[in-house]
Amino acid sequence: MNSMRRFLVPAGVAALLALSACSSSSDDSSGGESAAPAASKLIVVITPSPDNVFFKAEQDAAAAEAKKLGYETLVLSHDDDPTKQSQEIDTAISRKAAAIILDNAGADSSEAAIQRAKDNKIPTFLIDREINKTGVAVAQIVSNNAQGAGLGGQEFAKLMGNKGEYAELTGKATDTNAGVRSQGYHGILDQYPDMKMVAQQSANWDQAEALQKTQTILQAHPAIKGIIAGNDTMALGAWAAVQAAKKDIVVVGFDGSPDVVNSITKGGIKATVLQPASKISQMAVQQADEYIKNGKASQPEKQSIDCVLVNADNAASVTDFAVAGS
Amino acid sequence: MIDTKVPAPAPPAARGGRHDTLARAALLLLRGRTLVVLVVLVIFFSAISSEYLTQSNLILMTKHVAINAILAIGVTFVILTGGIDLSVGSIAGLSSMVAGGLLFTGLHVPGGTVFFSVAVVVVIGIVVGALVGAVNGLLVTRFKVAPFIATLGMLYVARGAAQLLSNGGTFPDLAGTDARGNTGFHVIGVDSWLGIPVAVWIMVVVAAGAIVLTTKTPFGRRIFAVGGNERAATLAGIRVNRVKIAVYVLSGCCAALAGLLLTSELGAAYPDTATTYELNAIAAAVLGGTALAGGRGTIVGTVMGAFVIGFLSDGLVLVGVSTFWQSVVKGAVIVLAVVTEQAQQRLQSGLAKRVA
Repeated sequence: MNSMRRFLVPAGVAALLALSACSSSSDDSSGGESAAPAASKLIVVITPSPDNVFFKAEQDAAAAEAKKLGYETLVLSHDDDPTKQSQEIDTAISRKAAAIILDNAGADSSEAAIQRAKDNKIPTFLIDREINKTGVAVAQIVSNNAQGAGLGGQEFAKLMGNKGEYAELTGKATDTNAGVRSQGYHGILDQYPDMKMVAQQSANWDQAEALQKTQTILQAHPAIKGIIAGNDTMALGAWAAVQAAKKDIVVVGFDGSPDVVNSITKGGIKATVLQPASKISQMAVQQADEYIKNGKASQPEKQSIDCVLVNADNAASVTDFAVAGS
Repeated sequence: MIDTKVPAPAPPAARGGRHDTLARAALLLLRGRTLVVLVVLVIFFSAISSEYLTQSNLILMTKHVAINAILAIGVTFVILTGGIDLSVGSIAGLSSMVAGGLLFTGLHVPGGTVFFSVAVVVVIGIVVGALVGAVNGLLVTRFKVAPFIATLGMLYVARGAAQLLSNGGTFPDLAGTDARGNTGFHVIGVDSWLGIPVAVWIMVVVAAGAIVLTTKTPFGRRIFAVGGNERAATLAGIRVNRVKIAVYVLSGCCAALAGLLLTSELGAAYPDTATTYELNAIAAAVLGGTALAGGRGTIVGTVMGAFVIGFLSDGLVLVGVSTFWQSVVKGAVIVLAVVTEQAQQRLQSGLAKRVA
């Protein structure tokens, strides 16, 4: 027992240290905090938790583009908490940032904070999620979620042969995109009289929650032939449940994350809708750069970027939230 | 369900015998309230959905219960000593990420990358939980930090550490490869043995071990003594600090185990694994009649509490109730449980006085 302990304790510590050491090599958030630049050469990037690879791609693309254009970056995560987001915008203000790139924590709860940045002469460039008010942010560059959900809904109906029972996993109710995507799906699916939604549950964008809820839904409705999810992490959770139940069920997601794309190439999940996350982040940084240099916006405020459907046909050509050639 | 601190039923007093019998019946009902609630839930949902009381659904729900039950058993040890452990959800997440990292990217050592077998990875994951628990215990005993604060701090530290391990990312594929000799992680979370999921067997083993530990061993008696009256326990020669550190280590181990089961089932490790699960675990303990002040409670009660929470949540999903109502109902049941606990206390002390 004692010798066992003598071996295992250092082994555990070593494992921890090694893992943390190898992963902290990539440069972003942690390093930015200490190095305060004298002038306005700082771009602050705020997104939801990089736990979801989609937001990680957003952060990485924005940070890389900003560095390329000669800016310092501070990358923060608000974890979908508007209060935390507000505090992080205060940080940007006190650091006298040149611009903020923001994937916001909720349309209505974000306006005041963005306005505060504007009052302090810091331009905000919104990515991925819109707000309802115009004239507060300099730009709102979002992927066209309604168009994308339409694509996803159409593919889902096609995969199901336009008939049968299905379930829908929706995102966090406070997030605008959860509603927009669900509406987009139903705008298509409700036109098919033989397709019947037998269960609709929110899994709060969470993989484990999606797994458990799908398992329970499959208990209640064993005849289900398809599951359509509001994002890819939930699609992955649903797919784990489908695999465990050894059933033949069509799963469709939204985001175009590498894990789902990988699953599609292996014939697991059937389709997803790719949001050009990296492209949007780069556009936002480029426009921020132009705004900083010229003092005015180069593009209209509302910019909508079309999504791309990813299925077995084109999955192989997808890398890092971008389809080759699009 | 059986309350260790309740005095043995006294012979009925001569006066007011009928009244006492009624009170005694009520008390019995109150003491078994978790079981009563569970039975009511099962009857209620079976009436609404024919799919609820099927063998496959019962097995599935029990599998969902297993994760919270294992977390809650660990937390119960701590609560019995009068402490609290808010860090179990984060510990589950940390051990999940450690195991995920070891399986997916391996351990980087000078000169290459080492992959461990699944058994070793599971042991390392649990050791990580034990270590974090030990830190909690040391903070509470040596540094005299209030358990609420020490474990609240650990809630953030362990979650942050989990995020640092992957820089916030997910370890997406834990299947392992034959070449690395690390296949088979799915056994604990996905596979079944004799038709029952392995995770459920693990819960049974953990629960049985915890029941024996609390009711049949000197260590168990010391836990109750420390929680009942710490000063008296010290005077009786119990090394209170040792007992306390031990319960936090046990809690950390249980949390790590729960995290590994969850990760195995999902086939992926992400840093937000088991976020806010500590609240479900504490709720299960409280529902099962464990007093937050310490010294009173049972493992069986906690497991029953976990069953009530799990069967309730899954039932609500099964019949298609919206997420918002699910929260409202769950919260109401927890508060109601504490209200009935108070009623039980009053009735008990009333009866005790009458006998005396």
